[in-house]
Amino acid sequence: MSSCKPFSLDLAADQSGLPHYQPPPCQVACPIGTDVGSYVGLIWSGDTAGALEAITATNPFSGVCGRVCDAPCEPACRRANSDGPVAIRALKRYVMDALGPDFHLPAIQPDKDKRVAIVGAGPAGLTAAQDIAAEGYKVDVYEALPRAGGMMAWGIPDFRLPAEVVEQDVARILERCPGITLHLETPLGDKVTLEQLRATHDAVLLTIGASAGRKLGVPGDDLPQVVDGVTFLNKVNGGERPQLPAHVVVIGGGDVAMDACRTARRLPGVKKVTVLYRRGPDEIPARHHEISAALAEGIEIVYNVAPSAVVQASGGSVELRMLKTELGAPGADGRRAFRTIPGSDFAVAAGLVIAAVGQKAVSLELAKLGMMDGERIATAEADMSTRVPGIYAAGDAAFGSSTIVQAMFQGHKAAYYVVAALQGNAHPAPYRTPYRTRSAEVAQDVAWEKLGREEPRFLGLRDEPFADSEAGYDARTAKEQAARCYRCDTETGSVDYSVKMRETIFALAREDSGPAEVARLTRSRLATRPDPAPAGHRATFDELVFLPANLTRLVIDPYREACKTVTDLADGLTLAHPMLVGGLDAAPAAIKAAAASAVAESGGAYVGRAPLGADVPWLQLAPAGVPADPAAAMVLAVAAPHAAPVKPDLTTGQKWGVVASLANLDAAIDLAVSQKADLLLLDGSGVLPADWADLSGAPDLALLTKAVARLRALKAEEAFPVLWFGGLRSGTDMAKAMALGANGGVACVSAAIALGGVPKGAGVDFAEVEDAAGALGRFLKAAVSECSMMARCTGKTNVHNLEPEDLRTTSLAAQSATGIIMAGLKKAG
Amino acid sequence: MVTIDLSTMPVREGNDALRAAAKRGEDIEILNPDARHHIGVGLIHPVTVRVKGSAGYFCAGLSHGARFEVESNVGWGVGDSMYAGSVVVGGNAGAIAGVALRGGEVVVKGNVGSRAGQVMKAGTLLVCGRASFLAGYMMYGGRIVILGDSGDRVGEDMSGGAIYVGGKVQSLGSDAKIVDMTPEEDADIRAFLKTYGVPFDGTFTKIVNAGTKLRYGVNEPISRPLPHPVFSEGDSYWNAKVAEDIHAKSLIGRYRIRGYGAAKPVPHFGDIAIKVDPSRIGAAGDPTKAVKLAMTLGERHGAKPLTLSMPVLIAPMSFGALSKSTKVALAMASRLSGIVENTGEGGMLPEQRKEAAQLIYQCLSGRLGWNIHDMLKADALEIYISQGAKPGLGGQLMAKKVTKELAAIRGIPEGIDLRSPSRHPDIMGADDLVIKVEEFREATGYAKPVSVKMGAGRVRDDIKIAYKDGFDFVQLDGLQGSTGAASTEVLENVGVPTLSALQEALDGLNEIGHDGSMPVVMMGGIKDGVDAVKALALGAGAVAMGTAALIAGGCISCMQCHVGNCVVGIATQDPEHEARYKTELQAQAIHRFLESVRWQIAAITQALGYSDFRQLSRKDLVALTPEAAAITGLPYDPDYRVVDEQLLTQVA
Repeated sequence: MSSCKPFSLDLAADQSGLPHYQPPPCQVACPIGTDVGSYVGLIWSGDTAGALEAITATNPFSGVCGRVCDAPCEPACRRANSDGPVAIRALKRYVMDALGPDFHLPAIQPDKDKRVAIVGAGPAGLTAAQDIAAEGYKVDVYEALPRAGGMMAWGIPDFRLPAEVVEQDVARILERCPGITLHLETPLGDKVTLEQLRATHDAVLLTIGASAGRKLGVPGDDLPQVVDGVTFLNKVNGGERPQLPAHVVVIGGGDVAMDACRTARRLPGVKKVTVLYRRGPDEIPARHHEISAALAEGIEIVYNVAPSAVVQASGGSVELRMLKTELGAPGADGRRAFRTIPGSDFAVAAGLVIAAVGQKAVSLELAKLGMMDGERIATAEADMSTRVPGIYAAGDAAFGSSTIVQAMFQGHKAAYYVVAALQGNAHPAPYRTPYRTRSAEVAQDVAWEKLGREEPRFLGLRDEPFADSEAGYDARTAKEQAARCYRCDTETGSVDYSVKMRETIFALAREDSGPAEVARLTRSRLATRPDPAPAGHRATFDELVFLPANLTRLVIDPYREACKTVTDLADGLTLAHPMLVGGLDAAPAAIKAAAASAVAESGGAYVGRAPLGADVPWLQLAPAGVPADPAAAMVLAVAAPHAAPVKPDLTTGQKWGVVASLANLDAAIDLAVSQKADLLLLDGSGVLPADWADLSGAPDLALLTKAVARLRALKAEEAFPVLWFGGLRSGTDMAKAMALGANGGVACVSAAIALGGVPKGAGVDFAEVEDAAGALGRFLKAAVSECSMMARCTGKTNVHNLEPEDLRTTSLAAQSATGIIMAGLKKAG
Repeated sequence: MVTIDLSTMPVREGNDALRAAAKRGEDIEILNPDARHHIGVGLIHPVTVRVKGSAGYFCAGLSHGARFEVESNVGWGVGDSMYAGSVVVGGNAGAIAGVALRGGEVVVKGNVGSRAGQVMKAGTLLVCGRASFLAGYMMYGGRIVILGDSGDRVGEDMSGGAIYVGGKVQSLGSDAKIVDMTPEEDADIRAFLKTYGVPFDGTFTKIVNAGTKLRYGVNEPISRPLPHPVFSEGDSYWNAKVAEDIHAKSLIGRYRIRGYGAAKPVPHFGDIAIKVDPSRIGAAGDPTKAVKLAMTLGERHGAKPLTLSMPVLIAPMSFGALSKSTKVALAMASRLSGIVENTGEGGMLPEQRKEAAQLIYQCLSGRLGWNIHDMLKADALEIYISQGAKPGLGGQLMAKKVTKELAAIRGIPEGIDLRSPSRHPDIMGADDLVIKVEEFREATGYAKPVSVKMGAGRVRDDIKIAYKDGFDFVQLDGLQGSTGAASTEVLENVGVPTLSALQEALDGLNEIGHDGSMPVVMMGGIKDGVDAVKALALGAGAVAMGTAALIAGGCISCMQCHVGNCVVGIATQDPEHEARYKTELQAQAIHRFLESVRWQIAAITQALGYSDFRQLSRKDLVALTPEAAAITGLPYDPDYRVVDEQLLTQVA
C-alpha cells in the first residue's frame, strides 16, 4: 500500500464509468461506498486479507461495523426481494474474526509539515484523521474521555460491541498512520482551547459528537429516577454495574432505546424492562435486528403511547403518566405524525425511567464563540466549514445524531475539504462518494440460488451478561453466505445484456424514473458507440455461424438420431470420429499415458513426433532428416522453415502425408498431389512440429480456404483427406473446419486442458488430475457430439456432409479469410 | 340429420354448415367428400358425422366429443390433436394417424401409414391392419393397438404410453423395449375391440419406453458465467472461458446447456446510429401524445387483427421455461400497455388468458398443450418452425421444471428431461405448411390471424415460403434470441445475427415483389425503444421483446435459466423459488418498462421530425462499423457524431 491519496478522497479514482462495472445497489446505499461485491466475492475465494483491504479502503472501523453497522446496504440488496438480503454486515465481522486482532495494514509515514487538529475521537474524527494522515499530514486528535471511539466506545454496550473491538480498530488506525497523535482526556475549553488549536495547527476539525441526552420534556423529568439514555449507557460502558430497581421503563424507539433496555435487562435487580414508544411498529426507527434481540431477551415493547408526566410515588419509585396515541398523515420527513388521544390516560409504575429521546451536542466553548446553532455546530453542508474560517465540523455535533457509517462519510467529506484547503485549492469539486471495484471473481457455488440467509447465531443473555450476544460465522457458513451474492457489480456473460444494459433496463422500469430520467437514459443510449475492431484483427472460428435447416431445407428428424462421424483417413486407418489428438510430445509421461488410453478408447488417432502408446494409431510428424518410424500408421513430412517438403523415406507400403502451412502451401500441395500422398495436414499455427504449436494464437483460417482452392485448381479435391491443426477448442470449431473443407482435425491445447493442463507462456503446466484419461475421453465425446449437433442443425446426418454453403461469416475479416459470405449480404466483397 | 354435399360447396362452407348443425345438436351426413382435407376440423359438439366416402388430411382434427364414421379411407393426420370422441375409418389411413391425440379413440379398420400416433398424449389408436415404420414415434402417453405387424422401429423415442402389437414386431425403435403385460391390460384391450366389433384372438406384445434416454446422465456443474469481454483472439485465444468450457465437458462428456442467447459479439443494432439530435429528445412535451404509435397486425387474409398501442409485442416464451407467476405478470403488463402476449410452447394458462387482453397461441412440433379450446380462446395462432437460440432443433426443458401441473397442461409424463421434436409431424416442407395453416383457419372459422415464428437461417429464402404460404405476419428471431435451455454451442454458433436476418427478410420479400401485406416482427436482442426504432427504421413492421421484459421484471442475467432454481423466481417451477416472484409488483415494473419503451420510440420519432413511427426510414440511420454498413447498405460513417454530443458528454 503506497501513500497515495486515500481512496475516499480521490474523486478521480471513481470507477463507475468503467464499461464493465456497475456500482451495485448495496454499494450505492452505503454512505461511504463500500465495495461490498468485491469483499463478499473475496470472502468466497478465501482471500480474507483481500476482503479487509476492500473494506478498509473506505472504512477504518471494519471491526466495529462488522458488529453494529446499521447496514443500509442490506435492505438495498436485490436478493432482499427474493429470499432475504446477503448478510453483508455479518460477513464483514467474519473478515476480522478470521484475520484476528493483530492483523495490521502497512504504515503510512507523514511527509508533510502542516498539522491538523481534530477534536473528538469518534467515528467522524478518526476517519478524517486517517484520511488526512494518509495524505502525509500530521494530525493531533483531542479526546475528552479516557478512551477513544466516541459513541462506539461509550454509547454501545459491550454485549453488542465489546470494548476491545473498538480498541483494536483504533489501534489499527494509529499503527497505520503514525502521523496521528491521540491526546486522551483533553476536553475542549478545559485542557485545550480553540484559540490555541488555531494557533498551532493549519486547520481544525470539530467532531465532538452529540453526547448529551435530551430531557423527556414533561413535568417531573428532573426527578432522580429519570435519567437520559446516553448518560445511563456511558456509565455502564465505563464499567459501572449499578443495582437497579425491579421495573425499568425506557422511553423512545431508536437504537439508544434498544441499547438502554437491553443493558438495563442485564443489570442486577432488574426483573422487567418495558419500552414505551409513541408511534407504531411500522414507524419505530430502531433496526429490526435490535428489536428482535430485545424481544428475544424478554423485553416488553408498548407502541402508540406517550408520557405526559412523571410523578414521585411511594417506596422510591415513580408513576409514569401516559396517554395513548394515534397516527395521522405522513409529515414532511415522511414519517407519520402522531397525536395523543384525550382521555386515554393510564399510568405505569417504574423504579427507573430512562429517557432515550435524542441527543444533542453541548460545548460551552463553542457556544461562547458563537459557533453553535441550537443543539448543533453551525456547519455548511457544502464544504463542512463553520462560522470561523479554517475550522470545520462533522459528525453528530454538526448534523445531528446519526449512524456510525454516516459519521464516517462525514469524516471523509470533511477530510476532503480540509486537505483541499491545506493544498491551497479554494474551489475543490463538490465531494461525492467515489465507487470502486476490485473485480473479484464470482462465486461458483452449485447451491448459490438455493442457499438461504443465515442469521448469525443469537446468544442472548448468558451467565456473563455483557458478553457477546451474537456469534460470528464459521468459515463454511461465511463461504455459503458469500455465495448468495448476485454480484450485481460484475459484468454479465452476455455482450448484449451487459451489466450496463441490464441496469439501464432496470432504470427504465423503476417507479421513480420519470420522463426526465427516461430522456437521460435514452440520450446516453443514443450516444453509445461500438468498440472499434482492433487493427489487424485476425478472424477466428467465432466469426463463423451455421445456417440451420428451417423451411427451405428440411430439419432433421428423428431428433435424437446419431449423426454419422466415422472418418476414413486411409486404408486401414478408419477412425470412429474426426477429432484427432496431437502435439503432446512435451507433456509428462503420465499425461501421455492417460491421453493414449483416452484416444484409443474413443477410436481416434494421435499426431506427434513420438508415438503416444502402442494401441493408438500414430501419425508421425517427421521433420526433414528424421527417419520414418515403421511403427507409425502414417508419416507426415514437415519441411524446415522456408524449405519445400520432400517425401520421406518409407518402409514398404507405409502411408504418408505432407504438413502444409501458409509459408509452403503451394509446394506442399504440389508434392502431395504429384507424389500421391495419402493425407494433407494443414498447420494453422505455422510452427509444427514445435512443442505446443497450438499456443501460437489464433490460427489463420485463410490457410484452409487457400488449400481448398489450390486442390480444386489441381482437380485434386478428393485426392486425399485434409486434416486441420490449430485453435480447435470444441467440436463446433471442428465442424466449422470441416465445413470449410477439412475431413478432420487435431485437438492439441484443448486436449491438454482436458488432461489438466494450464497454458502458461509458451508451455503447458500439468496439475495432478484424478482420472485424466477419463477427462480427455469425456471431452472428446462431448466434442464429437457437438460436431454432430452442428451437422444435424444444418440438416445433415453425416458430419462429412458439412459444406461451405452451411456457413456464414459475421465479420468482414472472416469473410475475407474464408471466402464465406457474411450473413445478410447477397454476395461476398 | 343434416346432409352436406361437398360437390356443391367448398370445404370452408361445408365446415361452417357442419358446425352450425352440430351446435344445434343435429347429426350430419357428408356426401361426395372426395378426399378433401380438413373435413370436420374444430368440431366441438357431441354429434355423429358420417362421411360417405374418403376424407383427406386432418379429418376430425382438432375436434372434441364428436363421433366420426368414415366409410372409406383417410389421408394423413386423422384425428389430429383430438381431445375426446371417436373416429372410425372403414378403410386405410395415411401417415400420422392419431397424431398428437389428446384423448378419445381413433379406429382404423385397414392399415396405417408411417409414424402412427406420433407425439400422442392420451386416448387409443387402434389399427386393425398393419402399421408402417415408426409407429408411436415420440409418443408421450396413451395406447396404440396394432393387430397386424408393427412396422419397423416401432416405439422410437417414445417417452410414455404403450404399444400393443398383435402381429410381428418387425423392429424396435430406439429406446423402446418389450415388456410383459398383465391379464387386466389384455382383457381391457379385448373389451375395447369388442366395442368396435373387431374380432381378434391372437396375442399381444407390449412395447414401452426403455428409459435409457429420458434423462441426461450427468448433471452439468453449475457455473455462473465468466464476464463476457474476453474472447478468443491473439494472446487470449486460450482464455479462462475456453478452459472452463473444456473442463466442464471433460466432466460431463456431452455438449453443455444453458439459458439466455448468444453471448458473443456480432454485428447488431449498437453498430448503427440514429441521426437524431439528442437535445431534442423529449424537449417538446409528452411525445407519446404527439406521435402515432398504434397499429394492427394480422389482417392480410381478413381475420380480426391484433391491435397494438405501439409496434411492440411480448416475445413468445413458454410456461415451463418460465414460472406461471412470470407468465401471468407478462400477461398483465401486456394488457396494461395495450400490446400482445404470446404463450410460447407448452400451452395456454387460464390465468394468462384472463390477464392478457390479447394472446397469441403457439403450436409447436410436440403439440404440447395444443388443443381446439385454447385455439378458440386465442386472438391469433402461431406456427413455430424454430427460434433464434436453437434453430434446427426442438425445445428442451430439463426434468427439474417438468412438474405435475406443467406435465398436465402439456399432456406429458412428469419429471422427464423433455426434448421436443425438431420437426412438426405434419410439416415436411412448404406445401405441408400451407395445408396446416388451412387446418387452423378451418378449425377457427378464418377469424384469427395465423403467424409463423422462425429462427434466422436462410432467411432470404425462408421468408419467401412464409409469404407464399399465406401467413399474416412473421415473427423472425435472430441469433441473439434467448431461451430457457439450449446447447451452448447452438446458442453461439447456429443462425444469423438479428441485423442480418432483418436485412435478408426484407431483401427476400423485395425479390418476389411482395405487396407489403406480411409484416416482419423482428426479435432477438431488441433491448429497448432505441433498438426498436432502429429495427423499425430498417423496415421491421414491429418488434418483440423477451429478455428485456424479463429483466424489467427482475431477471439478473445470470444465464442459469436451465437449472430450474432461478434465484428471482422467473425461470423455475420450484414453488419455493417461484414464491420469490411478486407477480403484481413485477407486472407493474414490466409495464413501466414498456411505457418507457413507448416513450423512447415516440420521443426519437418526434425528435426526427415525424408524427408517426411509420415515417421512420433508413434515411434516419447511419452505420458505425463496416460490417453494419455492408449488411444493411446504410452509409458507413464511423465518426458520425451528433451536433452537440460534446455537450452531451459534459452533461453525462
